[in-house]
Amino acid sequence: MVALSTLRKRAAKSGFQPASAPSVLRLAIVGGCTLFPLAELIQHCIETSGLGTTGQNHSRRVELFTGDYDNYVSEIVTPDSSLYEFRPDLIFVIPSERKCRYSGGLFDGRDRQEAAARKTAADILALCEMAQNRSGAELILANFRLPSGIDPGPYRGKSAASEWTFRKLVNLELGLSAPSSIQICDVEFLSSRHGTLVSTDQRGWFESKQPYALDFQVLVAREVSHIAASLRGSAKKVVVLDLDNTLWGGVIGDDGLDGIEIGDTSPRGEAFKAFQACLKSLGERGILLAVCSKNDHARAIEPFTDHPEMVLRMEDFASFQANWEPKSENLRRIARELNLGLDSFVFVDDNPAEIEIVRQFVPEVEALLLGPDPSMYVQELQDGRYFEALNITPEDAERVSQYRVAVQREELLASSTDMVSYLRSLEMKAVIAAFQSVDVPRISQLINKSNQFNVTTRRRTELEIRTLMANPACRGFTVRLSDRFGDHGLISVVICLIEGQHMEIDTWLMSCRVLKRQVEEEVVNEIVRIARESGCDRITGRYIRTAKNGMVSDLYPRMGFRPAPGASEDEAEYILIPAEYQTAETSIEVTLKSI
Amino acid sequence: MSREQVFEALQAVFDDVFQEQVVASAELSASDVEEWDSIVHINVVIAVEQKLGIRFRVGEVEATRNVGDFADLIQRRLAEKGR
Repeated sequence: MVALSTLRKRAAKSGFQPASAPSVLRLAIVGGCTLFPLAELIQHCIETSGLGTTGQNHSRRVELFTGDYDNYVSEIVTPDSSLYEFRPDLIFVIPSERKCRYSGGLFDGRDRQEAAARKTAADILALCEMAQNRSGAELILANFRLPSGIDPGPYRGKSAASEWTFRKLVNLELGLSAPSSIQICDVEFLSSRHGTLVSTDQRGWFESKQPYALDFQVLVAREVSHIAASLRGSAKKVVVLDLDNTLWGGVIGDDGLDGIEIGDTSPRGEAFKAFQACLKSLGERGILLAVCSKNDHARAIEPFTDHPEMVLRMEDFASFQANWEPKSENLRRIARELNLGLDSFVFVDDNPAEIEIVRQFVPEVEALLLGPDPSMYVQELQDGRYFEALNITPEDAERVSQYRVAVQREELLASSTDMVSYLRSLEMKAVIAAFQSVDVPRISQLINKSNQFNVTTRRRTELEIRTLMANPACRGFTVRLSDRFGDHGLISVVICLIEGQHMEIDTWLMSCRVLKRQVEEEVVNEIVRIARESGCDRITGRYIRTAKNGMVSDLYPRMGFRPAPGASEDEAEYILIPAEYQTAETSIEVTLKSI
Repeated sequence: MSREQVFEALQAVFDDVFQEQVVASAELSASDVEEWDSIVHINVVIAVEQKLGIRFRVGEVEATRNVGDFADLIQRRLAEKGR
């Protein structure tokens, strides 16, 4: 970090004149530490944060009031103090770390320690509310950095009297009890992310009562600046997305539905899927999603309608522009359609040329250029901090949120007393489908990776699978499972070989995460259905022991198959007569596709 | 680093930090410069540490009487770093 006077001097030289900014923010900073250079860093961050790369000026000039060292209590409590004379618009309070301590003993009862933490937090919040009531200003409160000292060792987490645990408790209380008018500058989070050790500068404290190490002060200043901007409601409302190499790997127009990388088949596919999931959750929080892509419309929508591994579907988008016109034009069209200002848009693309065009022709739009590694996309989007809400409004809460879903699942597990009602309450839906070209990579992956729930462990390449698919004597199918909590994707693969009136189950495997969900029963139902349809009077299942597949050694007998003679320790054959089979009842709603 | 080079480095820092023209000389002390208060002092120390890649110990800078003392201290820390 460059010393602050240097920064400000350079800014002045480069022609940046805060005085020309359209509005003024009167910012008061008070606290239990020396407020220089922190106060000027915050001033600098706020004054420069409105300066976009395109030269528009949303910046504000900051008039600064800095409280005296550790005088914040008196400045707030005294009605005619210089703090109130200043008439602040915004107050930033950094309470004294030294006062956030448990004064009792390490072995006091937990109740007493927790009560002390609650009291510490309540006192700080009461002080902040007094400052707000007297000044009418917005208020940001810094919570406490966690101590970096290693003492008292592993015991620190077992007593609320330790500085570490006590501060955590106080921070929790501050956050959970703060009224919506008080914003928390989460110094605990920032220092944990940055490292408590490097956030601390003991020399700086002893010499000039610096609250944090200098580099960390910059992070706190940026956070305060960010909250100050959020208070003005500058959060974005729309995220506009490119498609090829942004939502999936590859080019849909060239590579086709089978060729694009999306989903759990490859690490890159997983990364794109994670990015889609991140966008989906933004959607659930009330952020609108839109597509702006240079593509044929018909090709561009294919993955959303037909690719099983996509997280985002057509209904997730408020606007979908796939054509060959300039993206700047399409962005304007989306803005008209949604009746929203372009300054509430974030545009995301992996192509620097497109980003440049948008920056030039629609400078109001915030343009985010994605880096070369899709595993970083989520972080790159989040680091922009475009969509943060200071408070979640009732309108937001009405939307389906993943948090609510998680709570429901827990409640359900707790309330379901027996397995049957639990399974029924999951509202499971399965799609059983004949092998499809688009699924081959995932089928191949399961065939080559599944070890535990795999009765024969026969490995096959993608090419071999495609050859099987072309063979009329082979009937392969896959099972996808979803429940009310989400989609498990393609989780089971079965290959049956028919010779005359005999069917042999060549391969049966399943992902262990859906074990004991009655998928096994539905698989046997389907096997028998195919056998009957094909006129088979006998089905053979085979178990071949490996070091890892012990869990399915009794799968066939459990499913009603009879052992055939000649079984050995390592291999056993089981028989099922379709005519004698009674279809198993399950709690899964099954859809059959092109079988 | 020679004493001359240390003074050159100090001059560069002064040019960056002070608004007015301040010449780095051995006899100069903070009381000679109106702008040089405790706050600007923090800036000077940080800038020197960052420019030269050294770190002073607690209380050391405060114990120096003038820029000459400060330059001595800088040379000691630089020599230590070189070892």
